[in-house]
Amino acid sequence: MKEHLRSYAGNFLFALNIFIIFLLLFESKLEIPVWLHPFGRMHLLLLHFPIVLLLISMILEIFGTRISFNKQPFYEEFTSIVLLVGVISAGITVIMGLFLSRQGDYGRNVLSWHKWFGVSIFFLGSVMYTIRSSDKYKTVMVKVGGSITIVCLLLTGHFGAALTHGDGFIWNSVMDDRAEVVPIEHALVFDHLIKPILDSKCTGCHNPDKLKGKLVLTDSASIHKGGKSGKLFVSGNPEISLLMNRIHVEPESKKHMPPSGNTQLTPDEKELLRLWIKANTQFNQTIVSLPPTDSLRLLATAYLNTSETLEDPFEFSSADEETVKSLNTNYRVVSPLAKNSPALSVSVYNKETYTSQTLNELMDVKNQIVSLELSKMPVTDNDLQNVAKFENLRRLNLNFTNITGDGLATLASLKHLTRLSLSGTKVNYPDLKQTLVDFENLNTISLWKTEVTADEINQLQTEYKNIQFLVGLKDDGSNPIKLNTPKLKHKSVVFDDSIQLQLFHPVKGVEIRFTTDGGEPDSTASIFNGTTILKESTTIKARAHKSGWLSSDAVTLHVYRSYYKPDSIMLLSKLNRVHPANGAQTFFDHQLGTFNANSPAWANNWAGFLKNDMELLLEYKTPKEISSIAMNTLIETETSIFPPATIEIWGGPSIDKIQLITRMNPEYPKDYRKPFIELIECKVPKRKVSYLKIIARPLRKLPSWHKNKNNPALLLVDEVLIN
Amino acid sequence: MGNDLFEYGLNFNRRRFLSKASLGLGSLALGSLLVPGLFGGNKNQDDNFVPGIPHFAPKAKRVIYLFQNGAPSQLELFDYKPKLREMVGQELPASIRGGQRLTGMTANQDSFPLAGSFVDFKQYGESRAWISDLFPYTSKIVDDICIVKSMYTEAINHDPALTFLQTGAQQGNRPSMGSWLSYGLGSENKDLPAFTVLLSRGIGNGQGVYTKLWSNGFLDSIHQGVQFSSGENPVLFIKDPKGMDRDTRRKMLDNVSSLNQLAYQEFGDPEITTKIQQYEMAYRMQTSVPEVMDVSKEPDDIIKLYGPDCLVPGTFAANTLLARKLSENGVRFVQLYHQGWDQHGDLPYEITKQAKDVDQASAALVTDLKQRGLLDETLVIWGGEFGRTNYSQGTLTKDNYGRDHHPRSFSIWMAGGGVKPGIVYGETDEFGYNVIKDPVHVHDFHATVLYQLGLDHERLVFKHLGRRYRLTDVDGKVVKDILA
Repeated sequence: MKEHLRSYAGNFLFALNIFIIFLLLFESKLEIPVWLHPFGRMHLLLLHFPIVLLLISMILEIFGTRISFNKQPFYEEFTSIVLLVGVISAGITVIMGLFLSRQGDYGRNVLSWHKWFGVSIFFLGSVMYTIRSSDKYKTVMVKVGGSITIVCLLLTGHFGAALTHGDGFIWNSVMDDRAEVVPIEHALVFDHLIKPILDSKCTGCHNPDKLKGKLVLTDSASIHKGGKSGKLFVSGNPEISLLMNRIHVEPESKKHMPPSGNTQLTPDEKELLRLWIKANTQFNQTIVSLPPTDSLRLLATAYLNTSETLEDPFEFSSADEETVKSLNTNYRVVSPLAKNSPALSVSVYNKETYTSQTLNELMDVKNQIVSLELSKMPVTDNDLQNVAKFENLRRLNLNFTNITGDGLATLASLKHLTRLSLSGTKVNYPDLKQTLVDFENLNTISLWKTEVTADEINQLQTEYKNIQFLVGLKDDGSNPIKLNTPKLKHKSVVFDDSIQLQLFHPVKGVEIRFTTDGGEPDSTASIFNGTTILKESTTIKARAHKSGWLSSDAVTLHVYRSYYKPDSIMLLSKLNRVHPANGAQTFFDHQLGTFNANSPAWANNWAGFLKNDMELLLEYKTPKEISSIAMNTLIETETSIFPPATIEIWGGPSIDKIQLITRMNPEYPKDYRKPFIELIECKVPKRKVSYLKIIARPLRKLPSWHKNKNNPALLLVDEVLIN
Repeated sequence: MGNDLFEYGLNFNRRRFLSKASLGLGSLALGSLLVPGLFGGNKNQDDNFVPGIPHFAPKAKRVIYLFQNGAPSQLELFDYKPKLREMVGQELPASIRGGQRLTGMTANQDSFPLAGSFVDFKQYGESRAWISDLFPYTSKIVDDICIVKSMYTEAINHDPALTFLQTGAQQGNRPSMGSWLSYGLGSENKDLPAFTVLLSRGIGNGQGVYTKLWSNGFLDSIHQGVQFSSGENPVLFIKDPKGMDRDTRRKMLDNVSSLNQLAYQEFGDPEITTKIQQYEMAYRMQTSVPEVMDVSKEPDDIIKLYGPDCLVPGTFAANTLLARKLSENGVRFVQLYHQGWDQHGDLPYEITKQAKDVDQASAALVTDLKQRGLLDETLVIWGGEFGRTNYSQGTLTKDNYGRDHHPRSFSIWMAGGGVKPGIVYGETDEFGYNVIKDPVHVHDFHATVLYQLGLDHERLVFKHLGRRYRLTDVDGKVVKDILA
C-alpha cells in the first residue's frame, strides 16, 4: 500500500476515535436527523466486515509473534493493513450502531452490553494498531490483546443477535413450538392463560414422563386428579387450595413450588392462578364471557395485551390556533389535550350563560373535540344534534342535564365514543335497551340517579358484556346511618338574664327531644319547638330523631348565666405567657375556650396563671346583691393543668373595706384522667357589694403521682359568672 | 547541522500536531452537528413548555388531596404487623433502627419498647388488603383504591415534612403542588380558582397549617391556592361591601382595569395583567362560589353517604362534600387538610376519634365520584406527611401508648385518575420500620401524580433567579407499576 494512503487512513482512524469518544460523551443528547437514519440502519450490513477482518488480523497478529513469520515482510505488511482496515470498518460500524441505537426502542440492558463490547473492540484495535510499530509491543501484549478482542467480538455478536432476534433465538424453535398469538376475543382462560404458565414453570417435572409427586399438569383430566398429596384445588376457594399453598409457602420449605433455584412464578402469574381457582377452575371459559369488571378478566386482558398501545392516535389534523383561542370564553374552555396533539377538550360551566349557541359555535372545531364536559348545563335533546357532529368525541359528560332517551339515539353516530356519563338524567331502560346496540366502542356508562332499576341494569349487563355500567348507590333504607347530635345555635352560651333555647340540627326534618332537668332525653322528653326560655345556668340533654335514620347519641349542652357584669375589671396579677387571652376582659367576654389549650394555637380565650395567683378586682357602680361566684376552668392532668388549690372571695362596699366572704378548696384529680372543663361555683350568703375580689391560687406543687411532681400546676380560666 | 535536524524534528512534530488537532477538532465539529443546542445553551428549554397545555394526553384531569395533617399512624390503619403484638414491650432491635435519627421528643428515651396495634385488622376486597377496624367504610372501597405502603420522606418534623410533600422542598419558598398543576394545566372553569384549599380539625393533637403550603412561590400569583372557609363568607373579601350594587362594582372594575392597562403599557410587569384577571375572576366568583358552596340542595342519600356531619360547616365530611362539588365544577386541585393526627400520646383514644372523622367521608368521596362517572378522571389521594414509630413514645401500658414521627415508611392511598384500583404496593419489614420492597420517595410520588395529569416532571420547569426549578427538584421517577 502506498505510504501516503496509509497515513491518510491512519489519520482517519484518529479522527474516528475522537468522533466516537464525542458521541459516547453526548450520547443522551444526540438527535439523529431523519436523513441519517439509513446510515444508522446500515450497521446491520457493515458489521460483518469488522468481525471477519478483525478476527483474521488478530489471528495473524498472534501467530506473527513466531519468529518464522516475524521475518517475512509481506506477512508483516499484510497483517498491518488487515488490522487497519478492520479497525476502521469497526469504527464506522460503531458510529452507525450509535446512530441506530437512538432510533429504536431496544432492551436497555442487552443494548448497553452490546454497545460497550463493540466500542471496546474498536478502542482495543486502535490501540493495537497504534503501538504495534513501536518496540514496546511485546509478545504478551499481542496475545492478551488479541484474545480479549476475539472474546469481545464473539460477545458483541451474541448480544447483537439477541437485540435483533430476541433472547434465546437459537433454541426457541426447538424449545417452544406453541408461541401462538391469540386475539383476546377468542382466548380461553385455561388454554391461553393458565396452561402456558403451567407449561413454562411446572410441567418440566410434572409430566407423564417425569411424574414428580405423581402429579401431571399437562392435561385437564390429570390436573383435576391431582397428585400424591391430594387434589390440587377446591374450586372457588383459592385460600384452602393445595396449589396456592405450595406456591405461597415460604421459599425455604421443601414444599415450595416451583422449588427454589428454579424460575419462580411472577406476582401476575400467581394472581392469575388464584383468580382462576376462585372462578371455579373452568377449562372452557372464554375471557370475554367474564363480566367486564371482573378481576380475572382485567388481569387477563392486561396480561395478553402487554404491548397494547396506550395513546389513542388521532387521525385528524389540528384546528387553527386562533380559532381555538377565540372560542375560549369565561364560561367555555377549549384547550388542546396535550402539546402537539390535534385533539381538543371542551368544558362548559355556568348554567345561566349556557344556550344552544354555546355548542353551535364549536362547529369550526367539530372534528377536533374528543372530550366534552356539559355536566349540570340545561342541555336539551335538540342540542345533542350538535354534539353528534363532533365525530371524534371519546368522552361525553351529560350528568344532570335535561336530556332524555330520544337524545341518546342521536349520539349513536359517535363511533369513537368510549365513555358516557348520564347520571341524574331522564334516560330509562327502554331507551337504553334500544339504542346501546348502536354504540360500537362504548365501554363505560354511568347511570346513577336515572330511572333505570337495579334489575334492568343486570339485564343490560348480560346483554352488553363489553360495557361497564356504573350505577352507584341507591338508598334502600337497609343501612341506616346514625344522626349527628343537635347543637346550640346561640352566638354565646353565656347570657345575662334569660335566654331562649335554640337547638339546631343540620339535617332537615329532624325531631329534637330534650330535657333541662338532667334526665335522659328519651321518648317522654319534650320536643323542641323553640319556645323554651331558660333563666338559670342549665344543663340540657338532647337527642335527634328522624325516620330512615338511627337516632343520634344524647348530647349534653350547657348554658351559663352571668347576671352581674362588673363596671370595671382589674386584673392584679400576671398572666401566663402562652395564655394571655383577652386580658382582664376575658373573664366577662362571654367567649369560652376549647380543649387542647396547652398548644399556643388553641390557647384562645383561656387566661392562664402558672406561678402566681389569679387576683381579680371587680367594681360595681351601684351595689349588687350576689349569691354565687363561679369560674369555668379547664383540667388536663397530662399537661399539668389543674383546678385552683384555693379560691377566696373578698367583698365590701368600698375598696378599703373588703373582707373575706368565703374560701373554698376545690377537689383536684387523684390520678391521670381525660381532659374536662369544670365550672367551679362558690355559693355565698346573699349580700350587697360594690367591690368584689376573687383570688384563686394555682396548685403550687403537683401531687406526688404526677410525672412533674413538685412543679407548679397551671390554672386556666375562661369565664367568671357572678349571680 | 544538528540544529537543523532538531528544527526538522520540531517541524515534523508541529505539523503532526496541527494535522492531528485539526482532525480531532473536525471530528468534534462533525459530531456537534448531531447534538442540537450544544453551544447555544438550553435557551429554548423554557420555550418548550406552554403553560396550560400538558406534555402528553392526561389520564386524570383533577386532583383531590385529602391531606391527613399530623401524620396518621400507618400501624393502626393500613400496615398490619402482627409481629409487633407478639413482641410488645420488647426493645426495638438496633439493626432495624439502623441509626435512624429521632426527634427531640424520643431521642432521650431510655428504651424503645415495641408497641403493637391496639386495634385488629381484617382482609378485604379482591386484593385481600389488610385494613384496620378503625376504617369500616374505607374497607368497603378497597377494590377502588391503591394502597401504597412504602412511602418514605426525608424530614422528621411536621413543618418541613408537610412543606416537602406540598412543595417538593423542606424550606418553603417553592410553589405548592396545586400551583404547579394550575401552572401546568391551566383552569378548566374560569369562574373558580384552579387551586382551592379547605381546612378542618379533629379532636386529636393538632399541628398548624400555614398559607405558605398553598403558596404560588415564584410562579405567577394567579396559581396561588385560594382558601375556602366554612360559614357565611367562604372566600374572604369577595362579597360586595354594604351599599355597593353589582352595576357599580362592574363599573369600578372596568375603570380599575383600564387604569391597570395603562400601568401595564408603561411598566410591562406581567403581575399587573394577573391582577386584572384576578379582579375579574373575583367578580365572577361572587355568583359561582355561593352556588358551589351551597349544600342545602344535596339529596338525602348523598348526606347519608357522606354522613350527617357533611352538613356541619368546617368538618372533614363537609369539606369532602365541597371538594367533590368544586372538583365537579372544574377545579383542578382541591387540597384538604384535616388536622389532629399527631398521636404522641393517648394514641388509641385519639386515633379512634380521628379515624371516625374521616373514614366515612373519604370512602364516600370515592363512591360518589364513581357513580358520577368522574372517578377515572379525578385522582383522589389520602395520606399524611410521614409515618409513626413502631415503638412507644412515653410509657407503654396495656391499653395506652403513643408513637413518635417516623419518616422511613408510611402508607397512603390513591384512587381513580388512572391509578390501578384494588392493589397494595410496596412492603415494610415485619417491624413496620423499613421499606423492603418498592420504595416510593416523595419525589417519586410527585412525579407520578404529575405524570397522570399529562405532565413530565422533568419538563415542568420554571426559571427563577437563574435556576430552572421543578416540583421534583433533581430527582423522582414515575412509579409506573401502580398505573393502569
